[in-house]
Amino acid sequence: MRRNLTALLFVTALLSTAACGGSTTPAPSQPGQPDKVTVGVIPILDVAPIYLGEQQGFFSSRDIDLTLTPAQGGAAIVPAVVSGQYQFGFSNVISLLLAQSTGLPLKVVSNGNNSTGVDEDFAALMVKADSPITSPADLAGKTVAANTLKNIVETSVRASVRKAGGDAAAVRFTELPFPDQPAALEAGRVDAVFVVEPFQQAVLAQGGRKIASSYVDAAPNLAVALYFTSQQLIAANPDLVRRFTEAMKESLAYADSHPDEARAIIGTYTQIAPEVIAKLTLPKWPAEINRESVRTLADLATEDGLLTKPADVDALLP
Amino acid sequence: MTAGKTGRTGKPAGRVRLGLAGLLGFAALLELAPRAGVVPERYAPPTSRIVAALVEQAGEQRFWTALADTARTWATGLAIAVVAGVALGVLIGATPLLRAATASTIEFLRPIPSVALIPLVVVLYGATRSSTLVLVVYAAFWQVLVQVLHGVADIDPVARETALSYRLGRWARVRWLVWPTALPYAMTGVRLAASVALILTITGELVIGSPGLGREIAVAQTSGAVPQMYALVLVTGLVGVAANLVTRGAERRVLAWHPSVRAEVPV
Repeated sequence: MRRNLTALLFVTALLSTAACGGSTTPAPSQPGQPDKVTVGVIPILDVAPIYLGEQQGFFSSRDIDLTLTPAQGGAAIVPAVVSGQYQFGFSNVISLLLAQSTGLPLKVVSNGNNSTGVDEDFAALMVKADSPITSPADLAGKTVAANTLKNIVETSVRASVRKAGGDAAAVRFTELPFPDQPAALEAGRVDAVFVVEPFQQAVLAQGGRKIASSYVDAAPNLAVALYFTSQQLIAANPDLVRRFTEAMKESLAYADSHPDEARAIIGTYTQIAPEVIAKLTLPKWPAEINRESVRTLADLATEDGLLTKPADVDALLP
Repeated sequence: MTAGKTGRTGKPAGRVRLGLAGLLGFAALLELAPRAGVVPERYAPPTSRIVAALVEQAGEQRFWTALADTARTWATGLAIAVVAGVALGVLIGATPLLRAATASTIEFLRPIPSVALIPLVVVLYGATRSSTLVLVVYAAFWQVLVQVLHGVADIDPVARETALSYRLGRWARVRWLVWPTALPYAMTGVRLAASVALILTITGELVIGSPGLGREIAVAQTSGAVPQMYALVLVTGLVGVAANLVTRGAERRVLAWHPSVRAEVPV
């Protein structure tokens, strides 16, 4: 008993040494004071609009003091938003549908980014130069690298295979981070990769071929990722959420109509080489969410068995 | 002992020269391997490109901010771990009842790898410095604590009897008996903790995304900027060397009276 108590006190003491700052309950706005807002983002080109919007003052003009925190992925962002460490976060649609299906109190507040809707997209299903694979239909029984298993890459690649008339269930996936995929493809450790920019350029530079634009195949003008918040923040400070959504809409529209400025800002928060930035295919950044594509993704995810029960898309979207 | 002060490699200048030659040879190997096509140049750039990327990064404010962040997290975590480790080590070690009561708990908690706590700290503190600090303190604390416990247990029985005969009080015994015996152990603990703390600082930044060099490595990796990524990895190595030099210097200063230091050949 005494030992257990000691252990408990001990861990508590250790943890509390590091517990400096970071209130977890959302506070209402103070009159005359800008709201301090932390947004968890992934340092990839998809989030260029929010960096551009910050630079253009779209957030400060709405009394939002914005801090953008790059995280490794949605796995780190979702819990931080739920616990109130971040006020908003950026995550792909499937991750949000999965989080919602486990009962996490999330709500989408703004569009993130979409596929270009045409063959020339910011993400591609690619094979080696000398690969016998010419169509997604040839992928049955082959291994495709996905950055995360049971997520948007699997759903989209299966959609490409289905569209080409192949057996979508027969494709095997193996988990590999995007940065490792071009080397794995070149070494022949996987038969195909699904990469986003700038790794699409890396695969092209080593002579790789694109066989499909899977985000385009999954749904017309597919919404790939969205910005979200917690239900607690919506209840505690609906005005802040409204202002954030407005600022995001302005940022998305600005980025979409000023691709050169978007490219310039990408150079500030990533380490992508300038000559690569000039060649990147940028995603689309519509201000409004393509609800139909979110529904399609939810249906595909249910069909592929990622979601065990149909998702409540209307409850997730604003 | 064998090389001694008169041996071929005994002179400090000679040792430094040999050490540098080893480093240069290693750098040359890493330069030639990709150029000769042994490893793909795209993913394992030659040393010269890494150094060029490092020089370029050194001109950017964000690099120095990251370096300062890493140094701060490391130093803060190490300081908390050392203070807590020494204080609790002396307290537990000097109280037989407490020692018996905590021994199994310590042996249970100590082997838990700090990185296994990442999911927990992310939920508690998000991608903040606090998260990484918890990992650093947790990992470094045990190194110090266990060494101090061993040190306290190593008190010479004759010295202890003598102290009791002279009726030294509790504090006098800690100051003149426990402290000098445990200090060499504690310094070893600090040196071990310093390296472990740096490993966990970089790991936390890399995996959790708290500010620092680790996060910059992750960003460079996500950007496909291979030479920049290796340049930052190189910097973490240099930080490790610097951390080791600092702690060894401190050890030599604090233990100047101790036979182990007096006999040691200066590097």
